[in-house]
Amino acid sequence: MTSTTPAAPAAPSAPAAPEAPQRRGRPAGSPLLRYLLVRFLLIFPTILILVSVVFVMLRLTGDPITAALGGRLTPDQLQERIHEAGYDRPIVVQYLDYLGSIVRGDFGTTISDNRPVTQVLLTYGTATLELVVYGMLVALLIGIPLGRIAASRRDSGGDATLRVASILAYATPVFFLGMLLKLVFSVWLGVLPVSGRASTISTLKMSREGSSTGIYLIDAISTGDGAVISDVLQHAILPAVTLGLITGGIFLRLVRTNVMGTLATGYVEAARSRGVGERRLLRKHAWRPALIPIITVIGLQTALLLSGAVLTETTFEWKGLGFQLVQYLLARDYVAVQGMVALIAVIVALTNFVVDVIAALIDPRIRY
Amino acid sequence: MATALTPEPTAPAPVAVAVPERAAWWRRLPVVHQLRQSVGVQRTMLVLGLVLMAVFLLSAIFAPLLAPYGFSQLRDASGEAFGAQQPPSAEHLLGTTVGGYDVLSRVIWGSRTALMVVVIGLLLSVFLGIAFGLVSGYFGGWLDRVAVVVADAVYSFPSLLLAILAAIVISGGQASVWGGIMATAVSITVVFIPQYFRVVRAEVIRVKAEAFVESARVIGTPHRRIMTRHVLRNSTRTLPLIVTLNSSEAILTLAGLGFLGFGIEPTKGADWGYDLNKALSDIAAGIWWTSVWPGVAIVLTVLGITLVGESLNDLADPRLRRRRRAARLAGTVGSTTAVPGGVLAAGAQGADGIDGLEASEQDALDPLEDPVAEPRGVAGTGGDEGGSRS
Amino acid sequence: MTSVAHRGRRLWATTAGLASTALVLAACSGGGSDPSASEGGGGGASSLTVGTTDKITSLDPAGSYDNGSFAVQNQVFPFLMNTPYGSPDVEPDIAESAEFTSPTEYTVKLKSGLKWANGHDLTSSDVKFTFDRQLKIADDNGPSSLLYNLDSVAAPDDTTVVFTLKSENDQVFPQILSSPVGPIVDEEVFSPDALTPDDEIVAANAFAGQYTITDYKVNELVSYKKYDGYQGILEPAKTAEVNAVYYAESENLKLAVQQGDVDVAFRSLSATDIADLKGNDKVKVVDGPGGEIRYLVFNFDTQPFGAKTSDADADKATAVRKAVAALIDRQAISDQVYKGTYTPLYSFVPAGLTGATESLKIYGDGNGGPSVDQAKQFLSEAGVSGKVTLNIQYSNDHYGPSSPDEYAMIKDQLESSGLFTVNLQTTEWVQYSKDRTSDVYPVYQLGWFPDYSDADNYLTPFFLIENFLVNHFENQEINDLILQQATTADPAERQSIIENIQESVAGYLPTVPYLQGAQVAVVGSTVSGAEDTLDASFKFRYGALSKG
Repeated sequence: MTSTTPAAPAAPSAPAAPEAPQRRGRPAGSPLLRYLLVRFLLIFPTILILVSVVFVMLRLTGDPITAALGGRLTPDQLQERIHEAGYDRPIVVQYLDYLGSIVRGDFGTTISDNRPVTQVLLTYGTATLELVVYGMLVALLIGIPLGRIAASRRDSGGDATLRVASILAYATPVFFLGMLLKLVFSVWLGVLPVSGRASTISTLKMSREGSSTGIYLIDAISTGDGAVISDVLQHAILPAVTLGLITGGIFLRLVRTNVMGTLATGYVEAARSRGVGERRLLRKHAWRPALIPIITVIGLQTALLLSGAVLTETTFEWKGLGFQLVQYLLARDYVAVQGMVALIAVIVALTNFVVDVIAALIDPRIRY
Repeated sequence: MATALTPEPTAPAPVAVAVPERAAWWRRLPVVHQLRQSVGVQRTMLVLGLVLMAVFLLSAIFAPLLAPYGFSQLRDASGEAFGAQQPPSAEHLLGTTVGGYDVLSRVIWGSRTALMVVVIGLLLSVFLGIAFGLVSGYFGGWLDRVAVVVADAVYSFPSLLLAILAAIVISGGQASVWGGIMATAVSITVVFIPQYFRVVRAEVIRVKAEAFVESARVIGTPHRRIMTRHVLRNSTRTLPLIVTLNSSEAILTLAGLGFLGFGIEPTKGADWGYDLNKALSDIAAGIWWTSVWPGVAIVLTVLGITLVGESLNDLADPRLRRRRRAARLAGTVGSTTAVPGGVLAAGAQGADGIDGLEASEQDALDPLEDPVAEPRGVAGTGGDEGGSRS
Repeated sequence: MTSVAHRGRRLWATTAGLASTALVLAACSGGGSDPSASEGGGGGASSLTVGTTDKITSLDPAGSYDNGSFAVQNQVFPFLMNTPYGSPDVEPDIAESAEFTSPTEYTVKLKSGLKWANGHDLTSSDVKFTFDRQLKIADDNGPSSLLYNLDSVAAPDDTTVVFTLKSENDQVFPQILSSPVGPIVDEEVFSPDALTPDDEIVAANAFAGQYTITDYKVNELVSYKKYDGYQGILEPAKTAEVNAVYYAESENLKLAVQQGDVDVAFRSLSATDIADLKGNDKVKVVDGPGGEIRYLVFNFDTQPFGAKTSDADADKATAVRKAVAALIDRQAISDQVYKGTYTPLYSFVPAGLTGATESLKIYGDGNGGPSVDQAKQFLSEAGVSGKVTLNIQYSNDHYGPSSPDEYAMIKDQLESSGLFTVNLQTTEWVQYSKDRTSDVYPVYQLGWFPDYSDADNYLTPFFLIENFLVNHFENQEINDLILQQATTADPAERQSIIENIQESVAGYLPTVPYLQGAQVAVVGSTVSGAEDTLDASFKFRYGALSKG
C-alpha cells in the first residue's frame, strides 16, 4: 500500500517479455491483456486437477453397484452387474472415458436415481446460488459496519466484544447454531418456518403459476402473490443468517484489520498531523483504500460459502448443491458426485479468475 | 497444539536475528514473548485464549484421571446399566446420552480425540507442506509451476468436501482403534498442505532474491544450506500463526465430519461432532444436556485457539500492535515478518512484498511463474479465511 | 483508484439497500403467521400433507427397488394383485380373478373398461408390456430380479393375461405381482427398452392408482390428486388432495409435524423424536407391524470353532451360537436404543406374517428374556471352557444412526455374562458388502426389508444352500422344505411347513434375528385412518387417511 503510482510496476515488465513467454511469441497486447489471458488459461488446469483428484479418490473407495446393492445380491450377480456397467475396466480407461465425456459436455446420468446430471446441476445449483447470495448479503450487512465500528473504537471494550463475538460466530458449528436458531425462532417464538425453501402451498403455486427459474424469490415475484413472496423470504431468513453470521464474522475482522492498517499508513498519519479528526480520518482517508483488499477477499470467499452451504443446507433442508452432494456421496453415486464436483471446480476457477481480474484492474501492481 | 506452540523442531534456534537485546531464553519463546509484548485488551484476549487452551490441553492429557467413566462405558462398577438420556444427577453430573453414555466422560475424552486429530493432522501437513514448499520453491521450473497450480486448485476447493472425500477413501477399509482418528487427521491434512506449501514456497522465492544469499553464493557457502536455514527461520514466524488458526479449523472440520456421518465410532473414541449429531433429536425433544456440553466444548476450544491465533497475528503486525512497548521489540518482528499484513490483512500488502522482491530478481514476470504472488497469495497465507471454511 | 473505490462504495450501498429491503419485506409480511401447509389448497379436509424422510429413486417401476420409490408407486399405479387394508395376503386388484390354469400357467383376468387417468385404455397389452420391459431393461436399481420364475407373458385378449412360469405351482408368484416389480404401466407413455424420466410420466398423467400426481419435484414435493376412475381392491381415496413433503433430517420432520406443517409423518422419525411426540397432545403416534428385521449372521467357516478355524468343532460352534441367542436381551435394546420403534423378534419370520412363530424363545429364560445360566450350560455341555472371543462387524452407515448404540449394547450384554470377549468393528458399507461374502467377518450385522409380505421372503434368500448370505450353512432337509412350501397350493399345509422350517432352523441358528421394525406414523390429532394402512402389507396408502 505504500506505492500508489500505477506507472511504477510497468518498468520491470519490459525486460521480462522476451524472457518468459518466448514460446508463445511476443505477446501482441498490453501486459494487462497478457496477464488476463494467462489467468484465463489457468482456469482449465485448475478444473482438470480437481476433477482428476476427485475421480481418483472416488474410485479408490469401490464401485457404486456394490454400494447400492451389496446387501441384496450374491457375489456373482454383483460381479455381473459391475461388469455390465464397465466398473471392472482399468481405472485409466475409465478415467479417459470420463474426461472424454466431460469435454463433450456429457455429464451422464446419476446411478442412484437415474437423473441427467445436467438437470441435477441446474436444479440444485440455482438453490445454492440463491442461498449464497442471501448469506453474502447478511455477511456484508454484519461484517462491514461492525468492522468499521471495531476499527474506530480500536482496543476498547466494544472492539473486544465485537471481535470475541465474531470469533464465537465462527467457533459455533453451523449445525449447532442452526438448530438453536430453529428452536428459538420456529419452535418457541413460532415466527419463522422450521425448514425448507417455501411452504407446500407456495411451492405448488410457484410451480403452477410462476416462472421456473429455480430461484424462488424470482419465481415467487412472478406469481405476483404477496403471500408467496413473503413466505419464500421467511424461509430464507434463518438459513441466510446462519450462513451469513459465520462469514460476517470473518468480514468483520477483515474490515477491522484493513481499516486499522490504512489508518496507520503514512498519508493518514500526515492527515492526522494536519489535525484532521479521527472520525473524518476514517471516513475520508482510511475507508476507501481499505475497501480494495476487502472486495478482493470477499470474492475469494466462494469456497468458504460453498463449504458452509453444505452444512447450512443440510440443517435447513435447503435442497441445494451442497445438500445433494452429501446425499450422493453417502449413496456413493460417482457419476453425480463427479458432475457436481466439476461444476464446483468451474465455479471456483471462474470466481478466482474474476477476482484476479478485478484486483488487477484495481491495483496495477498485482499484475506482475 | 502442544507441538504447534513450541518452536518448530526443524528450525534452528532463533539466534542472531535482529534481536536488539538478549532477553532470558524463556522470554523469547513464542507466546511467552508475545504475552510480554501485549497490553490492555489485547493482553486480556490473549490470556483468555491461553486459559481456554490450557483447559483443553489439560483435559485431553489427563482425561483418564478426570473422566468419571470410560468413553464407551455403559454400566457402572456394579453392573447396573446407566440408561439412556438420564438427566443430570449425582452419578452422572451432566446426564447420559441417547446411547447411554455418560456425557461428562464423553466431553472430557472428546478433548483427547480432538487433540490427537489436530496434532497428527497438523504435524503431517506442516512437514509435508514445508517439504513440498522447499523443493518446489528451490528448484523452480515447470515442476514448481505445476505444484503451484495443483496447490491452488486444491486450496480453492471447499475444504469440507475435500475432507469428506478423503474420509471416505481412508476409512474404506476396516476401522481399527486408530482408524477413525487417522482418517480424520489425514482428511484434514489434505486440506491444509497447500497453505503451508504456499507460505514456505513464497518465503523460499523471497529469500532466494535476498542480497545475503547472493553474497553467500559468492563466498561459496552451499546455497542449499543457506536457503534452508533462512527460509525455515523466517517461516517459523508465520507458521505458528497458521498452525494455531488451522488447529481451530481442524476441530471444526472434525465436528463437520462427525455431523455429516463421517466421524469416529463411539466405542473407538469420543467425538464431540458425533455426539452433537446424535443429540440433534434430543434438542428438539427438550433433552438439552446431551447437546449443550459437546457443543460448548467445541465452541470454547475453537474460541480459545482462535483468540490466541488472532492475538499472535495482531502482535506480529506492527500496524496492529499497540504501540506502547513497541519500540523495544519492533525490530524483532517487523523486519522479518514474511507477510507484513499479517494473516488476516495479508491482502495486497502481502502480495506486494513478495512481488517487489521477485521483480527485482527479474525472474517472475510471467504470471504462470508465480500465481501465488497474486492476490491469492492472500488466501495462501490466509489461515484465517481458510480457517472458517468448515 | 478513487473511481474504483467509489464503485466499491456504490456496490456496497446497493447491496445493503437490497438486503435491507428483503429483510424488511420479510419481517413486515411475516408477522408470525406461517401459512401452514395443510390449511390452504381449498378447504380443510380436502387436502392433507404427509412428511417423510424417504427418498425417491425413480417413478418408473423398472428403475427403482427401494421403499421411497415404491411408496409413491403404490399410490399411483395399479397392480394385478394387491393387499387389502389390514392383511398381508394378496387378492386380485385390477383383476377379476387370478389363478393357476396349469402348473406353469398363471392366468389373470382383468376387470373390463379400465382406464388410465389420461384416458388411455388399460388392457392386458399394458400388462404384458410392463413385465416384458422389466425383463428387457433389467436396470441396476430395478427389481427385475424378482421375476426369476417368469418365462413369458401372453395377452390372448384385452382382458386376459397368461404368465408362463419356469417352475410349477409357484405360490410366491401372486405375491410378486404385488411387489415392487408389479406396478402396471401405460404402454403409450413408457419406453419399452429404457427408463422413462419422472417428468415425462407426470406430464403424461400415466397413472391409474388411488391417486394421480399433479406436481412433482423429486425428493422435495409430490402433489397427489384423487383418481376418480380407480377400480382396484381398495376403497376410493378419502382425501381429494395429498401433498407429500420430503425431508432429509428426521428432526426437521419431527418439528414439522409438531408445528402442524405436516399432518402425517411417516418414515422415519428417530426413537427420541417418537418418544417425545408421544407426550404431545397435538399429535397421535400410531404404530403397526413392520417387515424390517435386524439379525446377526454367523459364518460357519470362520466363527469361533468354525469349520476353517484351527480348533474346528461343529458342536462347540453351535453352542457358541446358542449361547449368543440366549444372552441377547432384545427387550432392552428395543427399549433403550429404539424406544419401542423396533420390537423384539423371536423368529426368522417377523410377527404379523402368515406362518410366523416364536421359535427362538427356546433360548433365554423361556419368556423372551436373556439367561446367563442357559448360555453357560450350552457352552459347558459342548466342552467350551474359558471366554470365547467374538469379532462382531456392523455397518455404521447402512442401517440407520442407532447401529453404534445397538452394538455397544450387544457387546455389553454378551460381555457382562462373563462368557464372551467381544471386539466390535465397523466398516463403511461398500467394503462391508464385499468383505462379508468373502469370509472376512466371523459374525456380522445385517438387516432385511421384504420384497413382498410372505414368509417365503424371509426363508428362501437365507437358508437355501445357495443363499445370499454365503455363510456356509448347508442343510439339505431345510433346503427341501423351503422349496416344498413354495409350491404347496393348500394354504394350511403350506403354513405348517413354514412353521416347521422355522423350528428346524432355530436348532442351527445360521442367523440370530433379534429386532423387528415397527411402522410408526405420527399424525395430527384430527387425522384418522393411519391405523388402517399400517398393516403387514408394509404399504402405506395415503388413500386411507382423512382429516377433520
